[in-house]
Amino acid sequence: MADATAEGMTDTGTIGQGVTVSRSGEQGAFGGELLTINFGPHHPSTHGVLRLIVDLDGEQVRRLKPVIGYLHTGIEKQAEALRWQQVVVVTDRHDYLSPPFNNLSYALAVEKLLGVDVPPRADALRVIMCELTRISSHLVWLGTSGIELGASTMLMYCFRERDTILDMNEEISGFRMHTSFIRPGGVLADATPRFLDMLDRFCNAMPANIDEYEALLTMNPIFRSRTIGIGRLPAEDAKVLGATGPMLRGSGVAWDLRKAMPYSGYENYDFEIATSDLSDCYGRYLVRIKEMRESVKILRQALDRLPDGPVNIDDRKVLPPPREELETSMEAVIHHFKLFTEGYTVPVGDAYAAVESGRGENGCYVVSDGTHKPRRVKFRSASFVNLQPLERMALNHMVADMVAIIGSADTVLGDVDR
Amino acid sequence: MGVEALAESLGQNVLTTTLGKLIGWGRGNSVWPLQFGLACCAIEMIHTATAGVDIARFGSEAMRASPRQADMMIVSGRVSQKMAPILRTIYDQMPEPKWVISMGACASTGGVFNNYALLQGVDKIVPVDVYIPGCPPRPEDLLNALMILQERIKAQGITPRQ
Amino acid sequence: MIADSLIVEKGVSAGDAWVSVAPDSIHTALSGLRDDGYRLLVFLTCVDHLADSSKPTWPGRYELVYQLRNMETREQIRVRTFLDGDPPRIDSVHDLFPPANWDERETYDMFGVVFTNHPDLTRILMPDDWVGHPLRRDYPVGGEVVEFSEEHEVWQTPPPRA
Repeated sequence: MADATAEGMTDTGTIGQGVTVSRSGEQGAFGGELLTINFGPHHPSTHGVLRLIVDLDGEQVRRLKPVIGYLHTGIEKQAEALRWQQVVVVTDRHDYLSPPFNNLSYALAVEKLLGVDVPPRADALRVIMCELTRISSHLVWLGTSGIELGASTMLMYCFRERDTILDMNEEISGFRMHTSFIRPGGVLADATPRFLDMLDRFCNAMPANIDEYEALLTMNPIFRSRTIGIGRLPAEDAKVLGATGPMLRGSGVAWDLRKAMPYSGYENYDFEIATSDLSDCYGRYLVRIKEMRESVKILRQALDRLPDGPVNIDDRKVLPPPREELETSMEAVIHHFKLFTEGYTVPVGDAYAAVESGRGENGCYVVSDGTHKPRRVKFRSASFVNLQPLERMALNHMVADMVAIIGSADTVLGDVDR
Repeated sequence: MGVEALAESLGQNVLTTTLGKLIGWGRGNSVWPLQFGLACCAIEMIHTATAGVDIARFGSEAMRASPRQADMMIVSGRVSQKMAPILRTIYDQMPEPKWVISMGACASTGGVFNNYALLQGVDKIVPVDVYIPGCPPRPEDLLNALMILQERIKAQGITPRQ
Repeated sequence: MIADSLIVEKGVSAGDAWVSVAPDSIHTALSGLRDDGYRLLVFLTCVDHLADSSKPTWPGRYELVYQLRNMETREQIRVRTFLDGDPPRIDSVHDLFPPANWDERETYDMFGVVFTNHPDLTRILMPDDWVGHPLRRDYPVGGEVVEFSEEHEVWQTPPPRA
């Protein structure tokens, strides 16, 4: 249908690209009828399979209702059918842009129940992986929102550095994206010298690369006019609506779990919480850029102060014995066999652990009934909560600005639907 | 002008071929994928399109947002029961001839998620030409799948899917 | 603060403080906590204790868990309540904590817990016409039978009723 608002339009129709319109009969402020538009779930600007039902008055958004569940994977149900150490593999895949955070929140919760603390080197490696992933996750956000706002070059620059990070993931864990590197009781393996070398080069090169991104966007008049004043979320609303991460910090609230409730030794690193008082899309952009810079600072400190020692707890009931022990010790063989056929049991109880991921509070609530499989694993995902202020942010904005607003919320639909 | 003179004047500027081969050659080298990201694999699909791997070398960089302009659907990620009817609708909206690449373990078989929520393999609802293993597959794997598909398209000629 | 008369039990689990209250006083208890500074509802979820032998008796089959946080003092508290019945019913707290809106819809979708006074209690993750509540323990994991897998029978059949 060429002209959706023309007289004689049928009640519903498709105007292409996943957008359907219908008339509600309700009167808008400009004298016309409200038009209900369906966006998605297959739409180029909705970051995956988000579907939005939008009531438009002219071109202004009057109501917006996200419809989710198009990527519902049943991860929580699957986790109940897997043994404690197998669950790590499925945690990788819910927020697929930040697997180490998902691993870490699950591992911290299980470690809380087991009552164990990991060695300092394991903590440092966890911090390194998390901060690398924070950068790579922000790079995906920067590249894709650049494309949506017309700056297609951003994607090429951002994914160049993301490729470097994925190569480092591959070096340390053998996998590019879903590393399953962090697991209850420690980490998969120690860092190789080549990994540390790559990390060193990355820390040296990254600040200049971030300058490059900023040169393309920060003072770019088109980018500024499409983001400044768009999608305002005042601090009080952000708090009430439960937003976390850059959504909250972009509204000027200095809340960061790494500072507020430190875990994995974050209290030993010197970094600042990135905030912006602008409370709009541009403010959230500034926050994420600053966060990348702070992450590089943390990486540099972690690399310089990387403690020596083991990377796993010395508990044969939770983690398999080292490979060389299997050849000499019968006990090690039995432990290995028991661990991979039965798994381990976790004391009865429940625990919640949360980490600050690139999107906000990524938490994991586990309930153990004393068997070798969890009774319940609940992922408190940041995107699920951060999607709810979308209506508040998009209200009375032009429909074209919705693209910038959805982009600035940085939701990952796998994280929303789990 | 004699035949020899004609052949000489045309020289090496004329090739003879069959129409099927010509069309297959054209189709195979300009496969436009549908921009259809579902889950983790979609990120690796974006990697394939960026400078590091550069799918443009194979004529497939034009990711189309509308199914009506696309030749190939890359099902990049897990397909939930809720998404399945929509995926089929989008597939039906694509003009013939069309091809499907099932990218990653989840799209091909359900992957590690053998449960109520996911479609256990996208081949239950759309015909798949190339399956890519991996969770997610490397960008090079996607490139390889595209090359396999191109060979197939070129061999199919003027009437694919008979 | 929660009045002592409302508290059924309190304790600490793996370092996390919790209190349990009766299901009909959940709204009063949470509004008391909110006025006390616990302004953020971190998450709300349900645990199904069907055939759970880790305790001799459970006060109810469904355990609702509300995790609250005071962002000024950085204290956290977990409020539990136990429900029974088919469907289990409890008051909605979306008026106290706006993020509870979607959490409650998810809990309804996944466990069939009905939240009275909820403005829009519909399925959120599963398709609208889905039958059953997938995260209940008597709902099979589903998926397809995998040949030579030791666990497929366990996955396909629901556990016996308690």
